[in-house]
Amino acid sequence: MAGTGSAHLRTGDDIVLRVRDLVVEFPAGKGQVVHAVSGVSVDVAQGETLGVVGESGCGKTTLGRAVMRLQDARSGSVEFRDHELTGLEGSELARKRRDMQMIFQDPVSSLNPRRRVRDLVREGLEIWGSQPGPFTDARVEEIMEAVGLGGEGVGERRPHEFSGGQCQRICIARALVMDPEVLILDEPVSALDVSVQAQILNLLEDLKADFGLTMVFVSHDLAVVRNVSDRVMVMYLGKVCEVADTQPLFDTPAHPYTRALLASIPGHELGLSDASTLISGELPSPIEPPSGCRFRTRCPLATNRCAVEEPELREVAVGQFVACHYA
Amino acid sequence: MATVETNAAPIPEAKSFAPERPKMGVVFWTSVSWILLVIAAAVLADLLPLRDPDALGIRTGEIQRFESPGVNAWFGGDGQGRDLFAQIVHGARPAMVLSAAVTLIGGSLGVLIGVVAGYVRGRTDAVIMGIAEIMFAFPAIVLLFAVGAIWGITMAILIPVMAVLAVPSYARIVRGVTIAVAERDFVDAARAMGASQSRVVIKELLPLVALPAIAFGFLGFGLVIATEGALAFLGLGLEQRTWGSLIAGGQGLIREAPHLALIPATAMFLTIMAFNYVGDGVRELIDPRPIVVGRKRRADGPRPTTASASDALLSIRDLRTSFPTPGGVVTAVDGVSLDVRTGRTLGVVGESGSGKTMLLRSITGAFPVVGVQREGRVVVDGTDLLSASPASRSAMLGNEIGVISQNPLSALNPVRTVGSQLVEVMRVHRAISKAAARARAIELLEQVGIPRPGRRVDMYPHQLSGGMQQRVTIAIALANEPRLLLADEPTTALDVTIQDQILRLLASLGDEYNMAVVLVTHDLSVVRGWADDVAVMYGGQIVESGPTSAVFGDPQHRYTQALLESTPRLDLPIHSRLAAIEGQPPSLVAPPAGCRFADRCAGADERCRSEVPVLERLGSVEFRCWHPGQGEAR
Amino acid sequence: MKLLGRLIVRLVAVAIAVSLATFSLLSAAPGDPAAAKAGFAATPERVEEIRSELGLNDPFHVRYADWVTGVVQGDFGTSVLNEQPASKLIGDAMPHTVELMILAQVIALAVSIPAGIYSAQRPNGWFDRLTGAMSFGMLATPAFVLGIYLAFIFAVRLEWLPAVATDLPGPFDDPVENLRQLILPALTLAAGMIAIYVRLLRTDLIETLQQDFVLMAQSRGYSRRRVLWRHAFRPSAFSLLTAAGLATAGLLGGALIAETLFAVPGMGRLAVTAIFTEDYDVVMGVVLLLSLAFVIANFIVDALYAVLDPRVRHGNR
Repeated sequence: MAGTGSAHLRTGDDIVLRVRDLVVEFPAGKGQVVHAVSGVSVDVAQGETLGVVGESGCGKTTLGRAVMRLQDARSGSVEFRDHELTGLEGSELARKRRDMQMIFQDPVSSLNPRRRVRDLVREGLEIWGSQPGPFTDARVEEIMEAVGLGGEGVGERRPHEFSGGQCQRICIARALVMDPEVLILDEPVSALDVSVQAQILNLLEDLKADFGLTMVFVSHDLAVVRNVSDRVMVMYLGKVCEVADTQPLFDTPAHPYTRALLASIPGHELGLSDASTLISGELPSPIEPPSGCRFRTRCPLATNRCAVEEPELREVAVGQFVACHYA
Repeated sequence: MATVETNAAPIPEAKSFAPERPKMGVVFWTSVSWILLVIAAAVLADLLPLRDPDALGIRTGEIQRFESPGVNAWFGGDGQGRDLFAQIVHGARPAMVLSAAVTLIGGSLGVLIGVVAGYVRGRTDAVIMGIAEIMFAFPAIVLLFAVGAIWGITMAILIPVMAVLAVPSYARIVRGVTIAVAERDFVDAARAMGASQSRVVIKELLPLVALPAIAFGFLGFGLVIATEGALAFLGLGLEQRTWGSLIAGGQGLIREAPHLALIPATAMFLTIMAFNYVGDGVRELIDPRPIVVGRKRRADGPRPTTASASDALLSIRDLRTSFPTPGGVVTAVDGVSLDVRTGRTLGVVGESGSGKTMLLRSITGAFPVVGVQREGRVVVDGTDLLSASPASRSAMLGNEIGVISQNPLSALNPVRTVGSQLVEVMRVHRAISKAAARARAIELLEQVGIPRPGRRVDMYPHQLSGGMQQRVTIAIALANEPRLLLADEPTTALDVTIQDQILRLLASLGDEYNMAVVLVTHDLSVVRGWADDVAVMYGGQIVESGPTSAVFGDPQHRYTQALLESTPRLDLPIHSRLAAIEGQPPSLVAPPAGCRFADRCAGADERCRSEVPVLERLGSVEFRCWHPGQGEAR
Repeated sequence: MKLLGRLIVRLVAVAIAVSLATFSLLSAAPGDPAAAKAGFAATPERVEEIRSELGLNDPFHVRYADWVTGVVQGDFGTSVLNEQPASKLIGDAMPHTVELMILAQVIALAVSIPAGIYSAQRPNGWFDRLTGAMSFGMLATPAFVLGIYLAFIFAVRLEWLPAVATDLPGPFDDPVENLRQLILPALTLAAGMIAIYVRLLRTDLIETLQQDFVLMAQSRGYSRRRVLWRHAFRPSAFSLLTAAGLATAGLLGGALIAETLFAVPGMGRLAVTAIFTEDYDVVMGVVLLLSLAFVIANFIVDALYAVLDPRVRHGNR
């Protein structure tokens, strides 16, 4: 993998979001750069949930932030409904971006502690010029009801009066009030306990159906991603390893890294060999990533070819794309 | 829009989550009153029925030369018999006007600059802070002094100069706050919603920065009063009469008439003190960081007991751990009993607030809060750690008992090398030479799978990756070949492939050293994969325990069932609906009367709410539930 | 050494900024040093003569360049009052100020480190409350007010110590008398710092004592003393160190007050006299040296940081 290529991109009218060859780099001082995302392409169809998985440093969060333009990309393109977003600035960007909303990992830190819940939920409408009034009030009320925050006086409270799971509901309400098409969720349940995590995951599935949402679900938790996603992309050190529909990806993982990830889940019963035989060592520095395939330094299958030639994504089974010379 | 069927959790009463607003004490309100009094004096001096501060008492005969404080003249008189009290009241005005003007002008400029520098960062920030640093380097009082000597001291000169001098301090403080605030996700969240930069600054940042700035403003206010006094003292007072000029005038007469210097000095001292105190109070409003009061006391438990009845290496009986908080006494561990035999790994699993970490800490007795009380027995290898003498307890910890904690980086001392921390644990507990300990340290590092241990031994924790750091803490825990290993969420901070490496290592070391291991985690899959036995904790109690396969295969307690069903699994169809547990965990200050899970349990009845379930046994599994085993086996 | 390079850059930057600021300030002053030097009875011609002699008619940049050239060669100009070189006046005064500042710093650290540590071990105990209240009081007491109190109590009432240090012997000639005379001014200077240091150290230490690695050290069975000194103290001392560096600026200002109050023949008093007598060459020299002292003190702090904290040494922080 750690490969490039766009063989997995689909055509068709129902593609809502398309990312092509996205490159994001951060300065790391002394003229060095962190290669956070290096030539990633992916698309998401209407009503689909794309799961993005990988370990820390794989670029999954940066990818989400770059799509939202919270992070500037060095090159590549992000298209929303066939409209190019890269290069847009100011109000034009803002107007397009309104259709995409983002949920962050830490719900408590995502809410300004000094403001009331109602104002927090209303904020997006306000930014977009809606005057406070019966219409916006009704809208805010409706959305809060939808995320399970209905009830007398809830809107008058401040974030610290709520638990983590409830704060995440508030964050979801803030995004939904804008009536977005796409929701980008960056580790939305990682900070939550298992029982609360289930509440939020169920809520997201309900909202997806009721509001016709398209989702990009970024997470390190394979079991969670498996449960919510229609399609999954596995990333490693800024590159795409494997893209496939959820079922084949988990049933017949093709990329050595995907297999290693799945085999590392404690107590799994997937019939894979021990993770220790599938992956070794630690993540190389994203400042000087390995040449060729970026996974080769930890891969049991790696040969000289992997150091020289970067694998491109190719279709190994119907709808299953893998960037590996030996998959 | 269709109404959505949601699994809404009931919203708790506001007060249960609201942090305690700190109560302002008597001193705070006394300070506020004093400030108001001084302000009143400054405003109303001319209207008050006072003597004319310039009237020469020795001419009118009203006040004697250097008259001492008394009934006639409350604060006494000066060399010309002028009334000191009247002078002090009139002297309040210039200082107040000056301080208010400087604080408002300098403060608002500084806040603005600080917010911009902290939010924009980059080059703008570097330039602003560079200028500020140079201004800090310039001795402000010397500059003021020079300006004063050259142009004379008037309000028109003093206000702008002092305001400019105040700007860097405000800017620096506000910049720090802004950076801390801007790192939080809500700034990104606002931007993601399309908020403009100026909206982010005005709506999101300024309100949060305002309070710290105001708090600092009170301190700054006091500082201006002091600086004006210092200038007056050096002979560069304002032409108006001020407290500073009164002190300066009285200073030379300290032998003849000490009250002339000491009384205005005290007035100034009290005023500055009041401003500082109010500033401090405002700061506490923002940052209520209560330090729990109390003193470590050892519960008067039973005298040291010899070996417990069972053959377990670790045997806990009726352990109760509580500590005071502003909201009441929290009983984090409430009547826990468990045994771990040599060669076995016990997984303790629970959600946050279940008491699993406090249970582990209750074994070692190292708590992050003061005032913790433990009752019951914690017997390790025949010694009750709760009633043992400090010396014998110390001899067990780090020696017979090894500990691994959640975040490896923070568990290692950041300013000491890996090797010195390894050598320390060996040399504290056994007679071993430095060189031998070092050789053993390298050996240990190799054993826990650290490549090139000879080089790594001299490195500092931050130079290692998270996985390597955790290997180091394992090496330290194992250094003295303990018989009991306590691991608190040892892999929570690690990636899944590294987690596998670490758990694999722990399992093989556990076999090799034949240890009893307690593995605390929130992750059911970790327990499923790596623990022989499991204890499920809820609300400070163990609700179910037994061999892992038995408990997970046929859970008896309703909570265990719900927990398992709410966890996404790899062997269920995708998009399968999870069984969420509604509601919130119970309060540990005033726990429910009956079963602690009753409020969130679908199968709870009256009895569950009123009667504490008795311990029942089904095969090798123990549990406390009135309606057990009615979930589907998984 | 990269650190040294950074120091030099910073020193030069501060030197230029501060000297330019002071120089232009003094040039714009309404007073006339030439007239001051010539005395009351001088004719206008004589004043004019002195003015051109002093180069006061040259444009600003020429005078500034002249002054810089002189300073680089160690020539700070001439005092207009008694025709002595400014460098000699400054040189005579400097050791006293340096000694005073070091003494104050030592007193402050010697008092605050034990007090801070003891408070942190029993937060909200009687000792902690007492030191808390005392620090608060000291923080609110301007140096000159405290100086007056001290002078009144120890010099006027108790007559234990001299109220003035006019005939101050060198610290090596008569150490006892030297200390007797400097102790009150040094205390005056130290009080504010003690307050700041104690509070900082206490807060930091309380925080450190709750950190994982301290809890881990406790759970390895280490003694209280070992946990405190070998594990908790060093990581807690960093803010104290920073504060000590920044306090140098306050010390410089405070020296002005303390030296005036107790008549110590140091740089602060020299500056006060020089400003009143429009002796601008001396003022320039003093201000420049004081500013550079501040930069150097903070450089020493940075260097100590690198010694104490490996994370700084490796550029991770």
